[in-house]
Amino acid sequence: MKLRALIVDDNIALARVTQFALDRAGFETQVAKNGQVALELAQEFQFDVVVTDQQMPVMSGTELCRALRELPDYVDCPLLLLTAKGLELELPKLREELGINAVFCKPFSPAAIVNEIKELLGVCV
Amino acid sequence: MKVFRPNLGFPRKVVSYYLLFCIIPVAWLTVGVLVTTHTVLNSQTIGSCLSKLDKLSAAIELEYLHSGTKNLQPLLMRAKSESRLDFCAIVSNDGLYCSHTKTKFLGQAPPEREGSHLQWGGLKGIRYRDSNGAQVSEYRLPLIVNDQPIGTLHIGVVEPELWRTLAEVAPLAPVAIFVPLVLIGLGGFVLSRMTSPLGEISNQLQHIAALAPEDPEVITKIPVRDALSLGWNRLATLLEHQKANPENQALESKLLEATAARRANQDREILESIPDGIAMTDAEGRITFANRAVAALLGDDATEGVAIQQLLAEMDNNAKHLTDSPSENHANVCEIHRKGNLTERVIRVSRQGMQSTQRPGQIWCLRDVTQQKLSDKMRDQFIDTATHELRTPLSNIKAYAETLVTGDAIDVEQQKEFCNIINSEVTRLARFVDDLLSISSMEMGSLSIDRQKVDTARLFSEVFEKVEPLMQQKQIAFIKELPEKLTEIKLDKDKIVAVLVNLLGNAAKYTPAGGHVTLRVKLDQRSLEVAVVDTGVGIAAEELPKVFDKFFRSADERVQEEVGTGLGLSLAQEIVEMHGGEISVESVLNQGSTFLVTIPLEGAT
Repeated sequence: MKLRALIVDDNIALARVTQFALDRAGFETQVAKNGQVALELAQEFQFDVVVTDQQMPVMSGTELCRALRELPDYVDCPLLLLTAKGLELELPKLREELGINAVFCKPFSPAAIVNEIKELLGVCV
Repeated sequence: MKVFRPNLGFPRKVVSYYLLFCIIPVAWLTVGVLVTTHTVLNSQTIGSCLSKLDKLSAAIELEYLHSGTKNLQPLLMRAKSESRLDFCAIVSNDGLYCSHTKTKFLGQAPPEREGSHLQWGGLKGIRYRDSNGAQVSEYRLPLIVNDQPIGTLHIGVVEPELWRTLAEVAPLAPVAIFVPLVLIGLGGFVLSRMTSPLGEISNQLQHIAALAPEDPEVITKIPVRDALSLGWNRLATLLEHQKANPENQALESKLLEATAARRANQDREILESIPDGIAMTDAEGRITFANRAVAALLGDDATEGVAIQQLLAEMDNNAKHLTDSPSENHANVCEIHRKGNLTERVIRVSRQGMQSTQRPGQIWCLRDVTQQKLSDKMRDQFIDTATHELRTPLSNIKAYAETLVTGDAIDVEQQKEFCNIINSEVTRLARFVDDLLSISSMEMGSLSIDRQKVDTARLFSEVFEKVEPLMQQKQIAFIKELPEKLTEIKLDKDKIVAVLVNLLGNAAKYTPAGGHVTLRVKLDQRSLEVAVVDTGVGIAAEELPKVFDKFFRSADERVQEEVGTGLGLSLAQEIVEMHGGEISVESVLNQGSTFLVTIPLEGAT
């Protein structure tokens, strides 16, 4: 059974290339255009990993992560945060408070995300 | 006891002393001379009488030998007449006058006389006062013939009276007394003339000494007689000058006062004109001075006499730490937020103890930092936006390029699609960089326009080329109302295209899918009018005046969702204004906005 990944990004092009990379890595992927949509999808389906952009309309990436961690199904689910911001984001705090497993600063490499997800899930595809 | 001292003038005093000390010796001398003369005269009289006594006694003795005592009387009479004798007599051995110049005494015994005894050589005598009151010196000489005493010769000499002496010396008086007196008088006159300037000077000085301190001193010139009067007159001239100067001095002091007042006014005016609020408070914190800006910043309540700290604390609790902390000499700064009818203003309050004056108090500086805060916020927002605007296309480009490079088995269609995405992201990046450069030029004032003949149709087609994909993407109906005849006009095509793309791009960005965007163009000889009408989110009334501000972005969530730099409209306005035109906006929230650009063509074509 394929592992399910949820990609959350308002930047359609970026979501598309991330999705492309994960598809090729053997994931079953779904794209949400903001945190609100993602939260609804997450409650509907069980995802094994969530990759979310930080800066999004309606609900930001960190808000989404906070909401997901409150759902029983997502307490341990690996969460990856993509951000256009650099050092001004307090990464250790995000990791500690929200249990965000990895943070990627833009511009990032899709391959690196795939590798990170694989490592987090402990799978070899 | 009060000693009477006549208030004489200085020269009179001098002359009086002079006369006193001259006349007393003269008088003394005169009396001395008189007494001496009298004494000398007296001695002379007695001496001359006595000197004849020997001769007389010899004549008497001779006569006695010759004819006895009968011819002695005429001899005595002759001797008396020859010298100034009072009397001359012979007392015979029987003790009676046998001969006497005063014949009534003949045959009488000489009277007993009382008085002082005299001794003149071998002669003895007696000095007495006779029955007439005259002082008589009587000398007695024994007469001896052939060693036989025959009797005693008595002669009396009357001492001269003082008045007689006076009468004697009277002819000498004019020379002896009056000449010195005249000379003394002359000296007094000369002295008086010499000292008369001193008198006038002394009078004036005494007068000045008697003046009250605030009275003006007045000295007058005196007749010129000597160096002293010349010097005094010089002094008087100087004082006159100074007397003339008092007006000058008064004028000068008035001038000083006026200058000080003007300076104070000037200082006050400077303080009043400062856009920052400057207020001074006394030890109790009550306002003693506040310039106009204070009232503008804190409201009309902030007038003299009001406790400023209380006023500030009422506006913002932040100001409380200023109130509570004790008054010290180092500056305290805090920012307070004052809620107005429409907007909130941020006022930076700094406080400093007054050190220069004796009175304890504080100086308050109030500065409206609302704009500064706003521009700080805008700058932060811009940096945020710029970072996002740069990183988003970059990450897309990187992700797609990497996918293309590393991913195998990507079909040609997909490759093409990825390349197109990279291309459009590069365009987006380039446009953003262009915007940044334009803003930078605008900031430096080096943005210039280059008016060239432009085919209007081509201009619009260039605009449409850029905005139509955006409209299509959001399924917005793009309505173009262009005039039938599009003539050639003269303007900076690239920049006007940028303006229109920006306006239409914004319209597309903030109009929900399914909305309408209308481009209405009016073109005639005089001007080009372009209206961009959308059915988008609209702009709140309070934000309308700010939409052309640099870095301004609406607080509306629907606007925040979209990326933007807050530079587009500011740049558009700059470009339109550089063409001599204007840009305006009308909007109703939730209904849509209309941006109107008018560019005059007269004179440009």
